[in-house]
Amino acid sequence: MKANDGSDREQHYNDFVALLSRHDQAIRRFVRSLLPNRDAADDVVQETALECWRKFDSFTGTQTEDENEFVRWACVIARYKALSWLRDQGRDKLVFRESVIEALATSALSQLDQREAERRAVDGCLAKLSDAQRKLVLSVHSPGQSVASIAKETGQQARRLYYQLDTLRTSLQRCIEKQLQKELRHG
Amino acid sequence: MDNQLRKWIYQTIDQTIEQGDFDALQDRLETDEEARAEYLKAVNLSESLHEIASTPEPVGTTVTPAASFMRWPGIFAARSLMIAASTLILVSGIAYWIGHQQSNLTPIVADSTASGSEDESLIAGHATLRRAFDVRWGQGHQRAKVGDVLGHGPLRLESGLAEIDFFCGATLIVEGPAELDIESDWSVRVDQGRLRATVPPAARGFRIKTADSEVIDLGTEFTMDVSEEQARVEVVDGEIMLRGGDHDGLHLLTGERRTLMGAPSSESIEGLATSSDLLKRDEAATFERFRSWRETNQAKQNDERLIAHYSLSTHLNGRTLSDATSNPSQDGLLLGPAQVVEGRFGEHSQGVNFDRPGARIRTRIDGQFEAFTFACWVKIDDLQQRYNALFMGDGYENGEPHWQIRDDGRLMFSVMVDDSREIEFYNKRDQRVVKDAGLHRVYMTEPFWDISKSGQWFHLVSVYDPSAKQVRQYINGQLVSEVEIEQELLVKDLRIGPAEIGNWGQPFRETPWFAVRNLDGTLDELSIYNAALTGNEIETLYESGKPVGY
Repeated sequence: MKANDGSDREQHYNDFVALLSRHDQAIRRFVRSLLPNRDAADDVVQETALECWRKFDSFTGTQTEDENEFVRWACVIARYKALSWLRDQGRDKLVFRESVIEALATSALSQLDQREAERRAVDGCLAKLSDAQRKLVLSVHSPGQSVASIAKETGQQARRLYYQLDTLRTSLQRCIEKQLQKELRHG
Repeated sequence: MDNQLRKWIYQTIDQTIEQGDFDALQDRLETDEEARAEYLKAVNLSESLHEIASTPEPVGTTVTPAASFMRWPGIFAARSLMIAASTLILVSGIAYWIGHQQSNLTPIVADSTASGSEDESLIAGHATLRRAFDVRWGQGHQRAKVGDVLGHGPLRLESGLAEIDFFCGATLIVEGPAELDIESDWSVRVDQGRLRATVPPAARGFRIKTADSEVIDLGTEFTMDVSEEQARVEVVDGEIMLRGGDHDGLHLLTGERRTLMGAPSSESIEGLATSSDLLKRDEAATFERFRSWRETNQAKQNDERLIAHYSLSTHLNGRTLSDATSNPSQDGLLLGPAQVVEGRFGEHSQGVNFDRPGARIRTRIDGQFEAFTFACWVKIDDLQQRYNALFMGDGYENGEPHWQIRDDGRLMFSVMVDDSREIEFYNKRDQRVVKDAGLHRVYMTEPFWDISKSGQWFHLVSVYDPSAKQVRQYINGQLVSEVEIEQELLVKDLRIGPAEIGNWGQPFRETPWFAVRNLDGTLDELSIYNAALTGNEIETLYESGKPVGY
């Protein structure tokens, strides 16, 4: 029956959108870990979303109740998309070779949960920085910004900025690790 | 991480690395698992910072799924030609999905942890459900339990009786079938139903809208009967004013009545329950529920799979809570400020409240078990601590369980796998490195509690099932989480030993400091089984033990 097909299809689509929107950050992060170039990563994330929608039937056919299954499934698709992107346009100098992408993808897939926990810890750790430090580290990570452009705007030497930034990132990283150990301990 | 590696990693993220260094980094990433882990952590941090930097300042609300979804339509729109066949569905789907998100009428809790010192929770809502009898809620509408905060929006009772307290002070007793639309603390629209409104001086001005009229209360009590064909109002005591419709501006006093819509009728509105009727009925129903629970409880205690059963209402003698499986060595002792209070069947029953850090019940359960099911009835007043204990093995040794609730409302269950794999961490207070628990995994549900649920009873169950390699968790009889236990985290030799209800005994072995984990709430029954109970059994536990109005 046609009418029924339509509403099933719509329900199907709604399920997909709900899953995708809940997990898009995790998928994006996975792709980013394979492709240092942000624009490349954006392309691959888009390709992945579309491919997931095309193949969603095969996922729903086998899905379990566990929502993380969706992320895993999507990340496997993303891994192929990243590799095929590499084959198509891998002339850019900052692109990992295929074997590195494979190795990173395998590690990243096994650590998806940890990425989420790290992400949750970031806010708390940022709050521990001073206003100026927080501003600096966030401004460098704002869309369209780079250390070079920030250095130019603030009149600071790029090298000095890199040094400050390096210290801040290291201390954030340390804070996140501490936070995660704490969570583990508290279980 | 060595400096060289870190430098390369961040130069790669910043896209400033030299080709030679990049090749060297790739070599390390290819061969060195730790280098990969470092790289992934750094990318993830950078990505998180990127997300935070590109999100506008939070405005005191939690991020809704709709907000994160807004990133996607652009992608699909740009590529719509490629998926032409699905375009129509995509567009209508998105509209439907967003609409669906917004029509969620349950109270919203906003956690304004934005920068700044104002750290205040907000709840959106206008009333609470005080009592409910035999209520069947309309399909697709708000379904409320006693104690729920009722938000803005329609409320539909197919049948039954509900007593609703508006925050302004007015109380409404509604008889189903009824259709209401809660508009604010001060106003409600009634499309169908019989009701009684009691309005104290503080709530004068409370209004009920029906058809094209408004009834504005000027003190005490009135009744209404609204159907599709007719709407009538009668003042039981005091004064009301009518606005709009044929009677605009009319005041009615005690005993007076009017038909606001439909064929005029001079009959009185009779048979509507009063608040004291409901109170009596509540007491009777609560006692009946208590009695029937006690009967099923008797049978439950003969279950051979039961390791221990702590039931405050039936087994508390002074400060000793005897284990209902009649194993005296497993008796619990109420310690410190653990306070005996009313349980989930009101005055007929008892619970114990642990709202101060010293409060706890201590017990000891020896033996070796093959599976665990932990089940309890608990009323949470607040999740004050980062972790709020339900039942904890002392310390945290191999095979011992930890059962608690995290401050974001997630139920957590874990069993220590290998405590010899110690993690060292620096304890700031002691200014030294102390050792802590090793390999284990915490199984968490999605959040089930927020401050709008304060004071409500919950039936919580966590099942550790080694033979099915699963951890299943249930809230109010419903499965909410099912996670596979990975092989390296599987524990078959389960133990408890000295343990604590409502708090955590001897958390860290090498320091006098202890984490504050007392449960800010009341526990009234706790059962522990040496078995993985089935979903049906758990639903039965919930159904046979739930309070009136649930």
